[in-house]
Amino acid sequence: MIRLSRALAFFAVGVLFATACGGSSGTNTTTTFKGTKKVGLSIALSGQSNLYGHAISQSLLLAAADINAKGGVNGYKIEMDILDDATTVDKAVANTQQLILQDQVVALIGSVTSAQCAAETPVARQNKIITIAATCNSYQLTLEPDLVSPYWVSIVPNTYMEGTSAGQLAAKLGAKKIFIVAPKYLFGTSETNAFVASLKKQNANVTFNDPATWYVPFPTNPRWDSTINAIQAFHPDLVYSNIFSQDQVNFIKQALAVDPQFFTKYPMETLSSIDDFNALGAQYPQGMHVYMRAPFFALSNAKLDAFVKEYHDKYNEYPSDWAVMDNDALNVWATAANKAGSFDSDKVMKEILGKSFVSLRGYTFTIRAQDHQANVGETIGTTTDSAGKYPFVTLKDLTNLKGDDILMSTTLMQEVLDGKCENNGDPKTANFALCPSWSK
Amino acid sequence: MNPGNLLLFAVGGLSLAAYLFIVTAGLSLVFGALRVINMAHGSLYMIAAFVTVVVANQVGVAAGFWAGLLVAVLAAGAVGAVIEVVVLRRVYRQEHLIQLLGTYAVTLIVAGLVRLIWGGSYRTMVAPALLTGSLQIAGFSYARYSFFMIFAAMLIGAGVYLMLYRTSLGRNIRAAVSDSELLSASGVNVKVLFTTVFIIGAALAGLGGVIVAPSQAVGTTMDSDILVLAFAISVIGGLGSIVGSLVGSVIVGEVISFGLANPATNPYALAFVFIIMVVVLTIRPWGLFGIAEQ
Repeated sequence: MIRLSRALAFFAVGVLFATACGGSSGTNTTTTFKGTKKVGLSIALSGQSNLYGHAISQSLLLAAADINAKGGVNGYKIEMDILDDATTVDKAVANTQQLILQDQVVALIGSVTSAQCAAETPVARQNKIITIAATCNSYQLTLEPDLVSPYWVSIVPNTYMEGTSAGQLAAKLGAKKIFIVAPKYLFGTSETNAFVASLKKQNANVTFNDPATWYVPFPTNPRWDSTINAIQAFHPDLVYSNIFSQDQVNFIKQALAVDPQFFTKYPMETLSSIDDFNALGAQYPQGMHVYMRAPFFALSNAKLDAFVKEYHDKYNEYPSDWAVMDNDALNVWATAANKAGSFDSDKVMKEILGKSFVSLRGYTFTIRAQDHQANVGETIGTTTDSAGKYPFVTLKDLTNLKGDDILMSTTLMQEVLDGKCENNGDPKTANFALCPSWSK
Repeated sequence: MNPGNLLLFAVGGLSLAAYLFIVTAGLSLVFGALRVINMAHGSLYMIAAFVTVVVANQVGVAAGFWAGLLVAVLAAGAVGAVIEVVVLRRVYRQEHLIQLLGTYAVTLIVAGLVRLIWGGSYRTMVAPALLTGSLQIAGFSYARYSFFMIFAAMLIGAGVYLMLYRTSLGRNIRAAVSDSELLSASGVNVKVLFTTVFIIGAALAGLGGVIVAPSQAVGTTMDSDILVLAFAISVIGGLGSIVGSLVGSVIVGEVISFGLANPATNPYALAFVFIIMVVVLTIRPWGLFGIAEQ
């Protein structure tokens, strides 16, 4: 009995010793951390945009693991705290409150939709929590007085950058009669307005379908019969869309069912992503004019190629544009926090604004101090068969637009901030196309 | 609007009405016979859609859809049987709110299980060659699949109607609606009858899921996408009436189709559906073809 109790005592001491050395402070095989800090993410793991939320959460988990392998941030292990918001605004807000107030996150990564980000911003601002946006991208998030936050950073090409790029592409294609279909919420209206303004600047004689029919409710009914029929009735030279995720997949499938040559008869220019390509696989039409935020195959460089391999090895799928950008997002914050030697948002922001960061996208981008927007690029091209290289289409005739070429000018930006771009001083009519410098 | 455009949008509305009717018919049948508002009806539709895609992608394009049809409808029916036996038998005599909560709980459980089994990503499949392709009518293209959906809805509607009015099962179902206790006293096993009705309703929801699977992304929001419109149609047409489900579906399909096409009504197209629902509820609460509850 005495020997047994002694053995038990030694065993208990051994367990305590192992626990003290091994567990709760987050030691991995080579690094001992001071503790754990959480970075929050409210993301669409279900709902309309779950295609994107799935990629984003995977990428951030990988990014956190890589950061921890290099010693974490300020000696702390970084843990992603991910909550599902089902692509709804109210859940995104509730999640943000929980992440900040209960889970004590030190930073946030932005949600998928601009509507959600617009609702989350005041909560994050009030609690002085940095949010790095890598998916939601309405330019109003960084310029509209009600939404502007000193702790908001955007490393995704915003709706001005994308919309004007798309407008320039449409002008190059020589389209004169355009059918617009866009989701009816902040992102859709912002990007569509940018597209129209840019296109009209190049060609004042272009015509569109009635503006009352431009927008579809968001989230949308999964049947697109009415829109497809309306396009047929209108006979446009070009269909412009910024519908995405489930909506884009359904629209394309149903349009091809109506006519396998639909996109030959009615060429389309649309926002797209690797996720949308992958969802349709070989069904994704070839010859589509697309603009994409970070397609890995168009931005090949050593760092990105290594990330693609790591992502593919772990998840058996290729990283989408969102995966690439959100990896950048967490690394921007981690780099800045390490430089600041602190998790204090004001100190970390000082290491973000006006500073440059190396991107997976193969270039260095700088976060502009005036509007917290990074000069990140956009890829435009035409879809084509990948000849078996990938389980989805790739692009031909592609161009990687440089961020500096598509970023809103500081003059225009200041005019927006100064309220010079409104009809009769009504802030609800704010539109950069009304700015004095836009029409010059 | 010229005749060509009129036909284009009318057929578009009918193809939307077609799959709405197939799903709503099941909901209506279950309510009519069992007086149960089944919130899990959309879940059965979603399960069938997922099963169809999975089976079709395993078996291959040629036979995949038809194999998926069989397996998915059986799967939906089987899940329906489980729901009826485990949940509904306990709430038949309860007030509608309890039934609603019980079936809503099933919805949440099924949603979680679907994500666990099939993940959160969308799945797509290719329609069988027989049903692909398009028809050119008056200068516009029409999906052959749209006509298949319309034809399938007509066939299913006729089948359900014949079942209800020309078979002994249908006779028993209608008798159970009137007086289930008297029916039980006459020797009919009402428990089994109710399970059979629920299975048929579930199979109809499943058929709806099978039919839409080739034409849209199959994902975890399908259950709620369909349920709101299905309930609106049931209210308009009359819960418990198959004819009402048919008429309600056509009204909703055409209102959405033409409403979205017209610039003046585009922003309000979906709202019109619910305005019609409110008007019907106000004037005739039991629906256009329903029967007032005693």
